[in-house]
Amino acid sequence: MPEKLDVKQGTLALMILKTLEVLGPLHGYGIARRIEETSKHRLRLNYGTLYPALLKLEQEGFVKAAWRQSENNRRAKYYSLTTAGRKQLAREAREWHQTADLIAAFLAPRREAP
Amino acid sequence: MRHLRAALAHIAGVFTSHRADDDLREELQAHLDMATAENIRRGMPPDEARRQAMLASGGLTQAVEAVRDQRGLPWIESVAADIRYALRALRHSPAFAAVVVITLALGIGANTAIFSVVRGVLLKPLPHRDGDRLVYLRHSMDGPGGANILFSVPEVRDFRQGAPSLAGIAEYSPWTLVFQGQDGAVRINAGLVTGNYFEVMGLSPVLGRLTEPGDDGPGVSPVLVLTHEGWMKRFGGDSSIVGKQVTLEKQSVTVIGVLQPAPFFPNRVEALLNMVISEHHLSAFMVEGRTHRMTEMVARLAPGASLEQARSQVAAVSARIQREFTDAYDPGSHHRIAVIPFREVIGERARLTLWLLMGAAAFVLIIAAANVANLTLMRGARREHEIVVRAALGAGVGRLRRLLLVENLVLAITGAILGVVIAGGGVRLLTALVARYSPRADEIRLDGVVFGFTLALSVMVALLLSFLASLPREGSLASSILAGAHRISGNLGKQRLQRALVVVQIAVTVVLLAGAGLLTRTMIRLSDVDTGLRTEEVLTMQVPLLTPTEMLFNPAADAAAKERYDRMRDEMAALPGVVDVGIGSPLPLRSSGVRLEVKAEGKALAVGEAAPRAELRTANPDFFRASGIPLLRGRPFSTTDRQGSGNVVIINQTLADRLFPGEDPVGKRIAWTGDVLRFTPISGDWRTVVGVTGNTRDGGLDAEPRPVVFMPFAQMLAIGGGLVIRADSNVAALVPAATSIVRRIAPTAPLENVMTVAEIKDQSVSPRRVNAALISSFGILAVIIAAVGIAGVLAFSVSARTNEIGIRMSLGADSGRVLRMILGEGGVLLAIGLGLGVGGAFFATRVIHGLLFGVAPHDPVTFIGVAVTMAAVGIVACWIPALRAARIDPAITMRS
Repeated sequence: MPEKLDVKQGTLALMILKTLEVLGPLHGYGIARRIEETSKHRLRLNYGTLYPALLKLEQEGFVKAAWRQSENNRRAKYYSLTTAGRKQLAREAREWHQTADLIAAFLAPRREAP
Repeated sequence: MRHLRAALAHIAGVFTSHRADDDLREELQAHLDMATAENIRRGMPPDEARRQAMLASGGLTQAVEAVRDQRGLPWIESVAADIRYALRALRHSPAFAAVVVITLALGIGANTAIFSVVRGVLLKPLPHRDGDRLVYLRHSMDGPGGANILFSVPEVRDFRQGAPSLAGIAEYSPWTLVFQGQDGAVRINAGLVTGNYFEVMGLSPVLGRLTEPGDDGPGVSPVLVLTHEGWMKRFGGDSSIVGKQVTLEKQSVTVIGVLQPAPFFPNRVEALLNMVISEHHLSAFMVEGRTHRMTEMVARLAPGASLEQARSQVAAVSARIQREFTDAYDPGSHHRIAVIPFREVIGERARLTLWLLMGAAAFVLIIAAANVANLTLMRGARREHEIVVRAALGAGVGRLRRLLLVENLVLAITGAILGVVIAGGGVRLLTALVARYSPRADEIRLDGVVFGFTLALSVMVALLLSFLASLPREGSLASSILAGAHRISGNLGKQRLQRALVVVQIAVTVVLLAGAGLLTRTMIRLSDVDTGLRTEEVLTMQVPLLTPTEMLFNPAADAAAKERYDRMRDEMAALPGVVDVGIGSPLPLRSSGVRLEVKAEGKALAVGEAAPRAELRTANPDFFRASGIPLLRGRPFSTTDRQGSGNVVIINQTLADRLFPGEDPVGKRIAWTGDVLRFTPISGDWRTVVGVTGNTRDGGLDAEPRPVVFMPFAQMLAIGGGLVIRADSNVAALVPAATSIVRRIAPTAPLENVMTVAEIKDQSVSPRRVNAALISSFGILAVIIAAVGIAGVLAFSVSARTNEIGIRMSLGADSGRVLRMILGEGGVLLAIGLGLGVGGAFFATRVIHGLLFGVAPHDPVTFIGVAVTMAAVGIVACWIPALRAARIDPAITMRS
């Protein structure tokens, strides 16, 4: 079994936003499942991590929440992206790519010519 | 924007948390249900499916907590919880809470009250525009009465020309004026000012206008600016006063304005007028006489000029004029001029007393806080168990510390609120006291700054208390629990701290008591001072019949006034019980404003010797007998010493010793002398000494007797005359009859200082009495708190050692031995505290040297008395817990 990782601070918001962009309005369980599957179950998301993050995004105005009937006829809270959320996702994704490139460049096993 | 929005959401979250919690629980439940359903679909049995879902969730409660933290302002919510908890905990130990709150209330209340006075009188910026740029110039010379001899108009001119760092110099001549009010005539303190005065002082009117340069000089009409105080006192704040006429010095004067509230120095004044009201102030004497010093100088520093520049320029001018006008500056008297910030000079009389009180109050707070700290430590020891359990349940050390802090804050702030209530009462008392010393007493307020001070004080106390308590260190929890924290340990380190606090309390109390003792002895010494009068059954009353202008320029009025004084004397002498009635000025035990150089015939001054100066007083033949002033040599004045007969004087012992050491002065001749005589109606003729009187304490009981020359009332102008009435008993009962005689003969004259000699004496002692009483009450408070402190710590030590004492007793120690053991424990603390306290007092009492009279700052009687008192109280305080220890029943102790 692969090593389980805790979600790094700051990355979870990005994952949630991306999930909502790809799948459209979704409830907390759906988001958690999607993130775990996408990470091939290397990430572990418990309620104490997921729900505060959702609330934070909602407070910042990047997602909005509404109660709806779920596919199996259960009342559930659905989250969806707002316009501001879309912009934020684009911005954060861009920054993340840049950071990742930078870190990758740093960690590349290459010796400088003397 | 994003942050603002989030912040608003946080704040809203605080208020909507209940509804949101329900919402969240439903959401989490839905999540759990979906996860369970998914697990079942994957083939798990329902129970297992649910269990797995729960495991994956990581705990519902934790999730709710985490979301709550995100939702609201977690800090506020948990502090609110801490406050609720603190209140609950304190409700469960009401005795502890009450003792702490009351102790702190006394300490904080005393400090708040005294700080409000210190701030109002010493620290607050002056109400004058740019008041910090104002400086006061003080002209002094050696000898009694030389501390502040004012300036002459030519001198003011010299400084105007020679000191460019002084942008403006305001002339202000203190004066008394007879004001014809609705309830008869009164003399009021006033100031005669030049037109630039208000501009220099930076004061504005609240009504009407102020005097201007156009109001200077002769040929203008007299105008009056009321000070705020005078406006309130004489006219009840009547807003239609401007433009009205009032009668001052028997002249009609127009009120042109009312001044903003502002302190005056050296005296409070009710009115400010242009100079024209006093003929004398415009005379050539005043304007040209270099030694005719009647003016106070306040100046405003020029923009960019420093106090040091002003000082050196003033010193240079002073040195130059002293070289130039040798007649006006007797070199032996060392004329000098100090330039002092106006704010400082206004506070100078109050400063020492106030800082002393502030220090005493701070000491009381230290003792109170030490006591509270001890109580907290003891309570902390009993709460160790609770604290360890809380720590075990997951409260971090930071959180525990905060819990303690909140609890102490609740205590300290409750104490502070109660303290402010106490201070409110105290401030009123203190204001009355301080009004004697400072013209700024009415600026004393319990305002925002004072409350800020109080709040800062209570927060500081709370912080101190919280960090005294030791908490289990992070990581040491397990060992604490293993050690069985139910044991009330009161570990050694903590007890050492408690003991140190007790020692501090005792030491500080000793210092306070020493101060109180010295001040009390000062007061007793002072009331024992011999006034120089042989009896106290003497009633004095001042009846000034003439205005200065009348006295100086109207001989007919002077003669008429003397005739009226004689009629008053004759009628009073006929009252039942009256033994003697004298006429004179000023009255006994009051200082004279007229101080002149005097010389003896045939005696030259040594080079550099200061010219002797004496107070001029007048007396009729019966004055000495009526006042009880003993005649040591020669004869009193007689009715034949009249205008036109030979000039005679009587001098007092001090002057006799100065002018005629080792000789009999009777028959010798003396004369007034000095440049200033030119400006007075007093001649420099030789006068024969006919008698020598004993010394009297005219400058206050604490002042050395001054040289005095008495002139016959009949041979001198009627300066401010008064009557002295001596009765065989209960002279105070004569007041109504004597008053009605004055009212009938002089219905429009002011009647002042109707007081018995005993009352005058008391007036001189009473400021010291208030000082002594205040410091003594602080001292007594300190003793009580310290006694409770030492008893409390020993009682705690006994209860912590009950087991040990039980064992000792069962091994054969009798109760006497246990008693001695506990007494010894307290005795050591007491001895160390006493030692430190006496040492500290030795240094501290030097500071109050200036407030003492007749006792040395390290008066051995006081020090021994204080040490014995503290030791006695301390031993009694130790005895109570010691007795309890001695009564421990070993059988019961060992079983429990």
